[in-house]
Amino acid sequence: MDHVPTVASSAPARMPAWKRRVSRRTVLATGGAAAAATAVAVLWKGNDLTQVMDRVRDLTHGYPGALRDERVRVSHLLRRAGFGATPGELDRYATMGTTAATTALLDYQKVSNAALDTKLPIIDFSGARPAASAGAIQGWWLQRMTETARPLEEKMTLFWHGLLTSGLDKAGPAQVFTQNALFRSMALGNFDDLLKAVSKDPAMMVYLDTETNRKGKPNENYARELMELFTTGVGHYTEIDVRESARAFTGWTLTGARQLRLTTGSTFVPRLHDDASKTFMRKTGNFTGDDIIEMLVPLRATAERLSTKLFTFFAYPNPEPDIVQHLADTFQKSRYNVGAVVKEILTMNAFYSEKVYRALVKSPAELVAQTIKASGADERSYVLAAQAMAPMGQLLFYPPNVAGWPGGTSWINGSTLLARINFANAAAQRMTVALPAQSLDQLLHTLVDANVSQSTKDALQAYAKEHPGDQAGLLFMVMATPEFQLN
Amino acid sequence: MFSRRDFLKQGLLPVMAGSTVPSVFANGVAAAAADSPNASPNSRILVLVQLAGGNDGLNTLIPYQDGAYHDARPTLRQDQGVLTLNNHVGLHPNLKGLKASWDAGQLAIVQGVGYPNASLSHFASMSIWETANVQGGIGDGWLGRYLNYLDQVGESPNHALEGISAGSLVPPEMRSKTPVTALSSVKGLRLQPVNEHGTQVDVENPLMRFYGAFKSSGPAPFGALLDTTLSEALQASHALQATDASYQAKAAYPVNSPIASSLKLVAETIVSGLGVRVAHVTLGGFDNHAREKPVHDKLLLDLDQALAAFMQDLAGHGLADRVMVMTWSEFGRRVNENGSAGTDHGTAAPMFLLGAPVKGGLYGSEPSLSDLDNGNLKFTTDFRSVYASVLQDYLKAPASDLLGGHFEMLPLLKA
Repeated sequence: MDHVPTVASSAPARMPAWKRRVSRRTVLATGGAAAAATAVAVLWKGNDLTQVMDRVRDLTHGYPGALRDERVRVSHLLRRAGFGATPGELDRYATMGTTAATTALLDYQKVSNAALDTKLPIIDFSGARPAASAGAIQGWWLQRMTETARPLEEKMTLFWHGLLTSGLDKAGPAQVFTQNALFRSMALGNFDDLLKAVSKDPAMMVYLDTETNRKGKPNENYARELMELFTTGVGHYTEIDVRESARAFTGWTLTGARQLRLTTGSTFVPRLHDDASKTFMRKTGNFTGDDIIEMLVPLRATAERLSTKLFTFFAYPNPEPDIVQHLADTFQKSRYNVGAVVKEILTMNAFYSEKVYRALVKSPAELVAQTIKASGADERSYVLAAQAMAPMGQLLFYPPNVAGWPGGTSWINGSTLLARINFANAAAQRMTVALPAQSLDQLLHTLVDANVSQSTKDALQAYAKEHPGDQAGLLFMVMATPEFQLN
Repeated sequence: MFSRRDFLKQGLLPVMAGSTVPSVFANGVAAAAADSPNASPNSRILVLVQLAGGNDGLNTLIPYQDGAYHDARPTLRQDQGVLTLNNHVGLHPNLKGLKASWDAGQLAIVQGVGYPNASLSHFASMSIWETANVQGGIGDGWLGRYLNYLDQVGESPNHALEGISAGSLVPPEMRSKTPVTALSSVKGLRLQPVNEHGTQVDVENPLMRFYGAFKSSGPAPFGALLDTTLSEALQASHALQATDASYQAKAAYPVNSPIASSLKLVAETIVSGLGVRVAHVTLGGFDNHAREKPVHDKLLLDLDQALAAFMQDLAGHGLADRVMVMTWSEFGRRVNENGSAGTDHGTAAPMFLLGAPVKGGLYGSEPSLSDLDNGNLKFTTDFRSVYASVLQDYLKAPASDLLGGHFEMLPLLKA
């Protein structure tokens, strides 16, 4: 928390001229410049160059553009660490200020979600038809995303659903619902613990076939994706590593109900485990699946890959190499703690830099949750709204494949943009939130940081003038802006 | 907020009249109308069918006379009903429509297709096939480059329906600066008006004022993206809505079959004469590491029936000579089945090219089942040879420029 940007540091006008002129580039280029040397001498801590450079950059420029306004910073924080805000939520967090709001979001264990837990529908899987259950859990999760008092917990659950994904095209609703709870309970925990749990999670065991992986009959599916998608990425293992580690993961089977898609328990059966010697990444031993995970998680490639994924999810794509290295250091020094990395991302200056603002496209989950925060919804509406995410390209619990959703600019094409705009229209027209007659300015403040292009503003003012009293139409028009599509 | 009826009602709202089309779209719509089959009789259309997940080539084009096949596949082998093509290989029993095309001389099968140093990663290998770049699979899609080429030479109306894809995402093989329209249905691809006190209020003009001006003021890279996306979507939407009512399928497409729905959608855009040059559909579900047989059998049945209806529909509209279908998958499967009655990731597999322009027959050489590379087939034809032949001979485009190299040409087309 010690380097959460503060309002005081955001006033470049008060800085001495020499500080204002020092850019990151100048520091890197001249190295010996007095200004840079002073700054580095004051801030140097070990070999943590990234942090030093970020501090220098911040001292130099302060917050860029719209992020100079603390209310906008909090709004940005809530969009990234959560699913946006209702006017009331924005007021509450803005009153706390950026630093306290960040702490509250990170320390969500201290926040009670009892009101939501009472309100959410009970999902009953006994004898339910799978199709009905799919819609029920989609609506349940969307409601949870929209109404939770712990936005970061839910945001991380969505992150894990995209990275360690399993889908209803193979696994059953009860299984993916159990996996969803696993992601939530270990959302900011240690990555090795999470991977060990996921390896034995019934949805994953069905989705990537470990439930069939037996001694003498190895199945490569999980072992390959564990390395390619969950840990190191391609280029850091061989086909022999795939085959050998598949043998290590033998022995875990599903328990309980005889139907493959219904059971939500798993167990280790020693006689099904291949306990012969395996050679994995040049080490030889009688390895289990947990042993393989303990060899993969400490690798630098894993630290860098997960750091890049997290930074891209929260801040912006293609992070600078020094940011990735800094986060990978954080990951390794904290014994693979995801919470430590996320805390670092949300508190580093890069999270409030000029590159970060509106540098992401709202995913359909973010877009729909924020839309409902503005318009309101009941339980039944959540089920329908979750289904309306399909033409936007993100149907919850139906990832397109084992790599999850590609995200980024692929969220936007002609077809998905029309689906997004039409959803905003339908939501606004069925608004259940008793909005006081909000002025255009108030809507712009809550939904787009009161920061839209002049042409957008002109068009909105013209619409408001031509359609006086059409509160729903005006809300829709604000949510249809290009600015609202970004996060 | 919503009711199911509200959603249904929205889908049934009347199509906006042509007179409300903002002038910025007039060119695109006019160009689309001019590009009817009669107006440009020579433009050829390529339809790609992606078999996502890695299709089991050995259980698609089956080396039924090879003892090694039967040994490698104790539970997965097809013992009966193989649709024999010669005394070595035959088609899976569920590919009856393709067999009929073979008999009519309209199915070319390229055997053992792959590339050097095959990746067994779904995503690395897909990128390689999508970009035709075997060094890392980066860059524009190979069909995206073809669409760029069409724009450069002015051979096509430059609008958003040149490249179309069934679904909600633009496939990487079509990615480039040229717009591509992804759509799940014609009715879904349209902007709903606002309902103000029972009156339908058109919102295209105010929305276009937001988006049209966003390029100059919005943050990179989204300014440019969002600037053009809405106008292209509305342009495609108007063209599609205008012709939707007139399309009548001339074949019975299977119901409850996503691949059939996708191909029917593609057929509609082609029949409507909207200037489509390349189309993409995906059939997923081929990554069967366990219990493969029932799943794979069903996938091939769905594929076969959907393709048969599609070809019949196009022929019924007199368009058979202008359309060719090509299938691809990121890899085949391991020769030996695994212990879960499934197959792990493999390498080479056959590609199918289907349609009246095709010179039917087997191409390339059959990969050996005994001379393997770590249990995987050694490829015998580079997929870029197939792409080159299709680009050069069928689409009349400069293949070596678009693929960044020269590849052996295969005589896949009728003279």
